[in-house]
Amino acid sequence: MDNLIHSVPDKRIDKNAIKAWRISGFLFGLLFYLVPAIGFFVYMEGGADYWFAVISGWVALFFHLTAFIVVPGVRWRRWHYNVTEMGVDMYRGMFIIKRTMIPINRIQHVDTKQGPVYRKFGLSSIRLSTAATTHEIPALDDGTANHLRDLISTLVRQVKEDV
Amino acid sequence: MSEFRRQHPVAAIAQLLAVLKQNIVTIIILFFVGSRNSGDYFWYFFGFGILSALVIGFFSWMRFTYRVEGDELQINKGIFVRKKLYLTKDRIQVIDITEGLLQRAFGLVKVEIKSAGSGTESATISAITRREAGELRKILRGESVSVNTDISSEESFETQEPEENTKSWRLSSKDLVLAAFTSGNFGLIASILGAISGQMEEFINEENLNYLAEKLPGYADSTLILWVALFIFIISYIISFIGVIFTYADFKLERNDKEMVITSGLLERKHTTVPYNRIQAVRFVEGVFRQPFGYGMLYVESAGFEQQNKEKSIVLLPFVSKKMLQDFFKDFLPNYHEPKAVITPPERSALRYIRRPAYLLFLAIPIIWFFWEPGWMLFSLLIPAFSFGWLRFNDARLNIDGRVMKLQYRVLARTTAFIQKNRAQVTQLTINPFQRRKKLATIQLTAASGAGGINFSISDLDYDDAMSVYKWSVENKNEYHSEFPSG
Repeated sequence: MDNLIHSVPDKRIDKNAIKAWRISGFLFGLLFYLVPAIGFFVYMEGGADYWFAVISGWVALFFHLTAFIVVPGVRWRRWHYNVTEMGVDMYRGMFIIKRTMIPINRIQHVDTKQGPVYRKFGLSSIRLSTAATTHEIPALDDGTANHLRDLISTLVRQVKEDV
Repeated sequence: MSEFRRQHPVAAIAQLLAVLKQNIVTIIILFFVGSRNSGDYFWYFFGFGILSALVIGFFSWMRFTYRVEGDELQINKGIFVRKKLYLTKDRIQVIDITEGLLQRAFGLVKVEIKSAGSGTESATISAITRREAGELRKILRGESVSVNTDISSEESFETQEPEENTKSWRLSSKDLVLAAFTSGNFGLIASILGAISGQMEEFINEENLNYLAEKLPGYADSTLILWVALFIFIISYIISFIGVIFTYADFKLERNDKEMVITSGLLERKHTTVPYNRIQAVRFVEGVFRQPFGYGMLYVESAGFEQQNKEKSIVLLPFVSKKMLQDFFKDFLPNYHEPKAVITPPERSALRYIRRPAYLLFLAIPIIWFFWEPGWMLFSLLIPAFSFGWLRFNDARLNIDGRVMKLQYRVLARTTAFIQKNRAQVTQLTINPFQRRKKLATIQLTAASGAGGINFSISDLDYDDAMSVYKWSVENKNEYHSEFPSG
């Protein structure tokens, strides 16, 4: 859809996000095997059909592969954001596109966050809190994240002083 | 008020009553079940419970001290874990003063002070004299420009010297009765009753049912169930009727320059103070039974925490005609008005609206049909579902200008939300793949309310319209320039 693409905010998150999400996707995807594992266990105990374990196993494999091969790339390609003196504009979503605007003077605090996988790739997420909700821009490189955090807090202070 | 002081000793009993009130359902069940089976043990157990609650109440009364220092309310409390709760004046959102039955007997009141921010509990002083409460409120609400918040008189919280800016609104007894008739929250009460009766298998078992069936010959099983359902329905209707009468009897709303004061209640009188600069949004809800008469209920959203209480919104007017709303805004909420420019969902989204309530039916009916032969007849339910969707399509509209946005939508009741631009915390656009094909988008605004937020959303607007609303939230222009016809 042309006018959608046309108007998306212009900044992207760090490309290393794909690698980081591959790893976390792979690890989290392992949880999908819990269902066939339980199915197999019940089968061994003679409680259920063999087919349940097999089918759910294939389904789990499919989801697992999707989670770490397909999802990270698409997710990265869809993520756009922009920070201006007006507000923070976020655009994301694989199937359902979500676009969120937080006016700058509604932001109550900003912080950056880094998990073990992100740390390995030098990535951080920024978390923005308003009086009502919390939003996150994931996987920015550390420099950008720190810069943005400071920028946003400066902008917030400026606007608050203006009022 | 610079010395730390204690509450009135009645606070100890007030706490006991609060505990009893919270566990009323459990206690009733225990009464029925326990008194029958375990005999005397039950009473020992019950007495012990009450006694320990009293002891705890006494000690927490002893430990609870408060004072106002500068513009800060300081509270020390806690029996084992000592807590110091300091609230600054400018963080306070709402002050509630309640005269419960017990407090009334001693000429006391309960003061609840709710502040912004989450994760902490609200400061509740459960028994102090009216005079102290008045002083407290005066100090915490600041040296107001107008003196009509002066409520230090022993007699009442009512305004002493009427000023030109003081206005009041009362609920007439006719409207009160109408409100009670149309309140329609018996659905909720019916479900509670259902839950209780579910726990009372003691009484509703096959034996008793058979006994009933014998007593009432000629009624088949299904008619009996119908009668029971009708009975629960009527009981809960009566409970809800009485509930509304008791909560909103003698309802009065007063305003001055800085705040609105709501006073209502028959046995338990509640005074809620809502400062103007804390109002986040205004919401007019036309219940299913009220809409035909052109009436509804007006709520205000105010930020602050109230985790224990599910009802985060404050009832500003329990029963008001939709026609009166604009006049009311002029007098009481001058920052809100009806914006001119109208945005409605385009015709191409009508089908989406009409189908949406029927999705669940499309899923459920074939399954029911599979297990139950005449299940196909349920397809007739699709007609009301479609009509309901059509209603939703017609009710969905959004009005906008430079300062205020009005969103009207229907879930079951029709809701009209008014939100000022500078109170919209977040604006969100959502587009799913089907909407993308038709160039539609869903717009959602979030206002702060209670500990979290309240969402107002309208589905399937034209993408460009939705985008203009999206941009509106950060625009600095004072007037909304639109290409839409106004009116």
